[in-house]
Amino acid sequence: MPVKKKIPEVETTGQVEWAPKAEVKEQVTDLRMVLDRVKAKEGVIGYILRASTSAAVDIKDPSKIIDYAVLSTSALESGESLSETFGLGKVSNIIVEGKDLKVLSLTIGEHRVSVFMEKNVDHNSIYKELT
Amino acid sequence: MNEEVYTVALKSALTEIKRVCPDISSAFILMNDGTIVAGDEQAVDSSLEKAASSLQSLVEKAASVGGLDNLVIDGEKGKVYVSCVNGMYSVMALSKHADLSHLRTVTGVILPTILKVLDSITSETTPPTPLKPAPFVPPAQFRPAPSEPLLEEEEEKIEETVEEAIETPEPLEVAEGETEVEPEIEAEFEDEVESPRQLTDLPSQQLIVDKFGGFMVRPDTVQLDFEVLQRWSSLLDVKEINEVDIETFRGKTTRCKAKVISDQKLEGRGLIRIPEKTCEALELKRGELVRVKPVVPEE
Repeated sequence: MPVKKKIPEVETTGQVEWAPKAEVKEQVTDLRMVLDRVKAKEGVIGYILRASTSAAVDIKDPSKIIDYAVLSTSALESGESLSETFGLGKVSNIIVEGKDLKVLSLTIGEHRVSVFMEKNVDHNSIYKELT
Repeated sequence: MNEEVYTVALKSALTEIKRVCPDISSAFILMNDGTIVAGDEQAVDSSLEKAASSLQSLVEKAASVGGLDNLVIDGEKGKVYVSCVNGMYSVMALSKHADLSHLRTVTGVILPTILKVLDSITSETTPPTPLKPAPFVPPAQFRPAPSEPLLEEEEEKIEETVEEAIETPEPLEVAEGETEVEPEIEAEFEDEVESPRQLTDLPSQQLIVDKFGGFMVRPDTVQLDFEVLQRWSSLLDVKEINEVDIETFRGKTTRCKAKVISDQKLEGRGLIRIPEKTCEALELKRGELVRVKPVVPEE
């Protein structure tokens, strides 16, 4: 009796490398929804969400948008720089605490997120909600 | 007291903190002028200097949240904790599960005490040394735009993407009272008539970037609304505004000549039209926001 040769199963993934990434848009929408939920919390002042080609800003005081955007960029850059210096590996989040406010900055996929809030807001719960 | 004594004292303080908190793997103190005053066994190499310079830049930018108090960077393999002590910044690398609250308490007691003792000794013996911590003065604090379309009460929630910004740009609506200079501002300008005006005292406006190009386009000339230029010239009491400073989200700045928008369809939309080459240099994309300030012509 001929022996049936077992064909090894090939693991298939949902997305081939060369195909356009359909998930990205979905991910942005999800992230925006979560951020909008976070923004509604008491003490949260707003957020900045940036990708390589787009940005979404929702800050209560529009005159602060650029200041906050510059701070957000600077926080992420400093985080990377200090992480490199001290060998911390991939940065999961950065908390910049000022005299008046604090900022939670993190990278989710290709998106850079910064959430601005009052100092008494629990940033850990926001971080958990975002990740 | 000389710098060396200060350095030794701070180094001892760091050693003591490390003894109390064994989770600290490395630490240094950064002065507000960017000098690394005390480091532990770790040599002050280029990577440390780079990190210090990046941190200093963050300190400057943190003026928008009232100045940097604390910074925690949570990484895969550990944490970095930065805290402000008497105008200096102690930077500590910690293990992943270090007790931050304990460290905060220790740092908040030892370093200020050492600094206080050093200061009291300094004031008793010699005039203050250059290393004495001075209150941090944030650079260029910008005054909010005098007439900002986004400030309208109805538009509390601002949400914009690059595409949205270009598709539905909102016309600049200047409220009747806004063109008038507030008494305080007016007084400030009067005081400064004789001295060259500082960048920090000038009005500014956030505008949406629109690119334009062409054979005859000069890369050093941008186009703005007539209304905006006119308002600035009346605010600053000058004949006309010929140049503007542009600052991007990423902190890049440039100075360009300013002209009125040539395309009438684009007037009154809160746009700044920037030549393609300049956009490339500033890493700007169409629809992004920039802060624009007038440059007061020297007379």
